[in-house]
Amino acid sequence: MRANFIFSEVWIGLRRNLTMTIAVVVTVAIGMALLGVGLMINAQVSNMKDFWSDKVEVSVFLCGKDDPFPACKNSGGVNEQEKQTLLAQIKSLPQVENVTFENQAAAYENFKAQYGADSVLVSAVKVEDMPESFRVKLKDPEAYGSVIEQLRGAPGVSNVVNQQDILERFFGLLERLRWAALVIALILVFAAILLIGNTVRLSAYNRRRETGIMRLVGASNLYIQLPFVMEGVIAGLIGGVVAATLLIISKVFLFESVQAYLPGNSQLGWDDVASVITLTMIVGVVICVLASFVTLRRYLRV
Amino acid sequence: MASTTPATVLPPRLACRDAPVIHFDNVSKVYANQNRPALDHVSVDVDKGEFVFLVGPSGSGKSTFLRLILKEEKPNSGSIHVAGKDLSRLSNFKVPHLRRRIGCVFQDFRLLPNKNVYENVAFALEVIGKPRRFIRKVVPEVVELVGLEGKAHRMPDELSGGEQQRVAMARAFVNRPMILLADEPTGNIDPATSIGIMKVLDRINRTGTTVVMATHDAAIVDSMRKRVVELEDGKIVRDQSRGVYGQAY
Repeated sequence: MRANFIFSEVWIGLRRNLTMTIAVVVTVAIGMALLGVGLMINAQVSNMKDFWSDKVEVSVFLCGKDDPFPACKNSGGVNEQEKQTLLAQIKSLPQVENVTFENQAAAYENFKAQYGADSVLVSAVKVEDMPESFRVKLKDPEAYGSVIEQLRGAPGVSNVVNQQDILERFFGLLERLRWAALVIALILVFAAILLIGNTVRLSAYNRRRETGIMRLVGASNLYIQLPFVMEGVIAGLIGGVVAATLLIISKVFLFESVQAYLPGNSQLGWDDVASVITLTMIVGVVICVLASFVTLRRYLRV
Repeated sequence: MASTTPATVLPPRLACRDAPVIHFDNVSKVYANQNRPALDHVSVDVDKGEFVFLVGPSGSGKSTFLRLILKEEKPNSGSIHVAGKDLSRLSNFKVPHLRRRIGCVFQDFRLLPNKNVYENVAFALEVIGKPRRFIRKVVPEVVELVGLEGKAHRMPDELSGGEQQRVAMARAFVNRPMILLADEPTGNIDPATSIGIMKVLDRINRTGTTVVMATHDAAIVDSMRKRVVELEDGKIVRDQSRGVYGQAY
């Protein structure tokens, strides 16, 4: 009886304000989808960081013959004694876990593997052009600063490159994307709150006769307010479902296709997507409930 | 009898033994941004089963009196008891329960235009969560009591003013309230039809419901010979047990 009554009231209210309801649904859907994309980028970044954190190394490149690096000027390439001193120096650093030596042949192989044997770049480069290097693995990948500081400028070292830097650049791009998505989501959430407020206000005005009589005959506040709040909740839920669809689409067509260009397996799993969808749904509905409740307090005297 | 006397020293008349249904003790009400009080130290008791006319010119405080009973407004000073409850101590949460014991009828009927007679009356029970079986049993009885049998499926715009007011009375009475407040119920109705409305109010009063009716209609007050409380500038200037409208004293 009670539920029946409330749902028929909700249905009437939603139909009467159809255009406003659609506006609310669209705003909530896009806002929540962007919030979800932000959270998915977040999950993706942390997945990738997990994957990469035990693989990144600091590369200490050694001077070859006639290297243009200022550190190598007039050196004529690194000599054996310098290599030994350097190896001992690297090993003595407390942050270092282990260190391997990559000679020119190995460097060439890696280079070929990275760009493909048929590449023009590979055919233009000879084994002798590849630099020799020490590959230094750190105990804590984040603590590269001091290591680079100490090795840069040591005799025979042309350059010290932290792979993390390269990754950071990529992560930085993702993080900017994430922030953009979250900021737009925030703006849309704000718009959604105002829209819901307006919808509820219109609805309360349309039904002022009914609510006036309800007040007079002693209907409880919950009974008077629930149809309005439910209108918001249902609009929010529909928006949430649309947002979930958008998120699934973006997972399949965006995240998975970008994945193809990235080495290693740092796929965003369906469980991540599911928890993101749940979270955005909850956020959407909570926002709708709060917005309609706050507006009701102002426009529906009880 | 003088109803301003405190309940404890009332003469032992049968109807007065119970505590009054409505008890105003030194009540004043000043609306914000108005310096003249709408009610000025009003003390009055209405006993169970009484029929009281509230008369006086516009702006004399009649509507304020009714609104205070419903706790739609709060008094600035003094205390109000309705149906044994001290309204100043009644939390907002419990106000709906107070209002379930009070029926209301207005000059402008306040019916829902998209519901028929039966649905308008049933609405009052639906929104306080009464079971459907109960509603189906009670509503036809009340529709008959107000003299609208056979018109339960008419829409309000198919009814005359008098009939619409009967629907409003049925809705006010369907929950068997302890008190029925009527604010100018005959204000929009011609005198001949008003007599029928008064008969229904009298019938409701005879079931033991206390009726408080604010009115301008001298003919009705004179014909009913009920208790008359006259307000002027927020003060009670007359309280007569079998009064007429404009009697000098």
